[in-house]
Amino acid sequence: MTITEKILAINSGRDKVTPGELVWADVHTVMTMDYLGKQTFTQLHKLGCSEVFDKDRVICVSDHLVPPPTVEFATMLNEWREVVKQHRITHFYDLGRQGIAHQIMVEQGHVLPGKISIGTDSHANTYGAVGAVGNAIGVTDAAVAMAIGKCWFRVPETVKFVIYGEWQPWVMAKDLSLHIMGMMHWNGHLIYKALEFTGPAIAQLDMAGRMTLCNMTVDLGAKNGIVPPDEVTRQYLQGRAKGSWEPLLSDSDAHYEAVYEVNVSEVGPTVALPDKLDDVVPVEKVAGRKFNKAFVGTCTNGRVEDLEIMAKILKGKRIHRDVNMIIVPASQAVFLEAMQKGYLQTLVEAGAAIDTPSCAACAGIHTGVAGDGDIVLSAGNRNMKGRMGSKNAQIYLTSPAVVAASAIFGEITDPRTINL
Amino acid sequence: MKVKGKTWVASGYVMAYDIIIQKYWTAPIDPAENAKWVMAGVAEEFNRENGFKDQGYTFIVAGHNFAGGGKSIEHVVTGLMGAGIKAVFADSFARLQFRNAINYGLPFITCKGIAEICQTGDQLEWDTDSGLITNLSNGRALQSVPVAPFVAEVAQAGGLMNFIRKKIEHNTIAELQ
Ligand code: SF4
Repeated sequence: MTITEKILAINSGRDKVTPGELVWADVHTVMTMDYLGKQTFTQLHKLGCSEVFDKDRVICVSDHLVPPPTVEFATMLNEWREVVKQHRITHFYDLGRQGIAHQIMVEQGHVLPGKISIGTDSHANTYGAVGAVGNAIGVTDAAVAMAIGKCWFRVPETVKFVIYGEWQPWVMAKDLSLHIMGMMHWNGHLIYKALEFTGPAIAQLDMAGRMTLCNMTVDLGAKNGIVPPDEVTRQYLQGRAKGSWEPLLSDSDAHYEAVYEVNVSEVGPTVALPDKLDDVVPVEKVAGRKFNKAFVGTCTNGRVEDLEIMAKILKGKRIHRDVNMIIVPASQAVFLEAMQKGYLQTLVEAGAAIDTPSCAACAGIHTGVAGDGDIVLSAGNRNMKGRMGSKNAQIYLTSPAVVAASAIFGEITDPRTINL
Repeated sequence: MKVKGKTWVASGYVMAYDIIIQKYWTAPIDPAENAKWVMAGVAEEFNRENGFKDQGYTFIVAGHNFAGGGKSIEHVVTGLMGAGIKAVFADSFARLQFRNAINYGLPFITCKGIAEICQTGDQLEWDTDSGLITNLSNGRALQSVPVAPFVAEVAQAGGLMNFIRKKIEHNTIAELQ
């Protein structure tokens, strides 16, 4: 069996599962967040339950709407807080302790190798970074899981990506994600598949990079993305994991629907063009294109490692006067660490605005949205028309390194060409 | 059982984002309310109150990855149900909305090539037992992929909520496997 099949089998009390099968499996944690959370609890009550299955394993996070920019959002947040309190949820990451839910789930050790965690938001695929099955579900599934600690799953076929070669300077996991997007097509072959990332170049990848890679598997249409747990995972989870875990790995005779190899030495900084995620080009093809807004944050690229590479590029430099740059650390913990390490100071000195941890403009419903005519260079995950606000804005997606280098000149710039 | 009705055929890729536009993502789940603005982003003529619902469609026919784009919001499914949609036939469906559809008991039926034999306004007949979809307007028919037993069981219970509520009441949750 593949690692995903094994996790689904063990957590549903089976010796074996086969792709296509529907199973009810135990979930380790269930996440819900501010804008769908109240509905999730309402559904729970409709099931006739007044309590969740385990107060320590239902994780509540405020991320999409904090701090509230409108009366409507403020009222929603108040109702949300009320219902979380009423259920005496142990882990409530509200404003002041907040972060993007997917970052919180991994960073606070709520996701463990060999287990299943689900969340009411599409990027729950991120949890695969530590060797867990992470899945997005709707509020009804979440309510059922909050009631009985179980969720139904269809066992997916697994597609393996073997990544080898050497990571080139300024090339990030995001570039690999976008590269795979261009290779496979967003709306294509990977729908409903489990994507397993292995190979020497994955072994070298830090947890931040693994999170980016797994995060964007949902945008490839996949069911989940997963990196087999290894020494990097073990060290990352030390002192962080809430609960004990055993590593699960794919069997040597596991069946894969397809295996693709990517030589990462050949992957350079990469850009997805506006509107379509799989319209992907190497940065040099679009170098020189002007933009006026730069955005780095989100569950894809708002981590310390992302801010570090930006600080390296922007140290002693000034962001072009025609560019508004907004940087949003993915969580309070990221914010604090980036502050302690001096990255935020460097970025502010360069002329970036730092926003408090949240989803911000990523989904176009919170701070920093795009208006008519804006051209945004973003390190986020989606670029369809209207995603960040106006349908008359354009969104280019790329890595934090490309955003930082480009911000200096006000035009898309290959980070490999600048003098530091 | 045979279900008959008028169909709307998608001309291109239909995203969850367009079925329920951004403004309504945070609205409460309520089929009647969600139906008012369902499909608002799919076509200009649907972008007014009850714009889609008033057309009286029973079926939707689409191509690949219906309701894609990666949104988990259930309004997509409840909105379509509230607008009177009894089934969606497509080459394939996006994972999240496929789940939601199963959980609410709205049949999302995989039927390769269905869009090629239908036009908006055609009368279709769907045989829920055999899975045969017949276009009564032109006489052409296609066999769809049968519904899995678990899916049928949930639909029969009136959705996952009822299905689980009964199991909780009867203390038979342990039977789930
Ligand atoms: S950062 Fe963006 S993609 Fe991630 S959870 Fe928030 S809105 Fe969704």
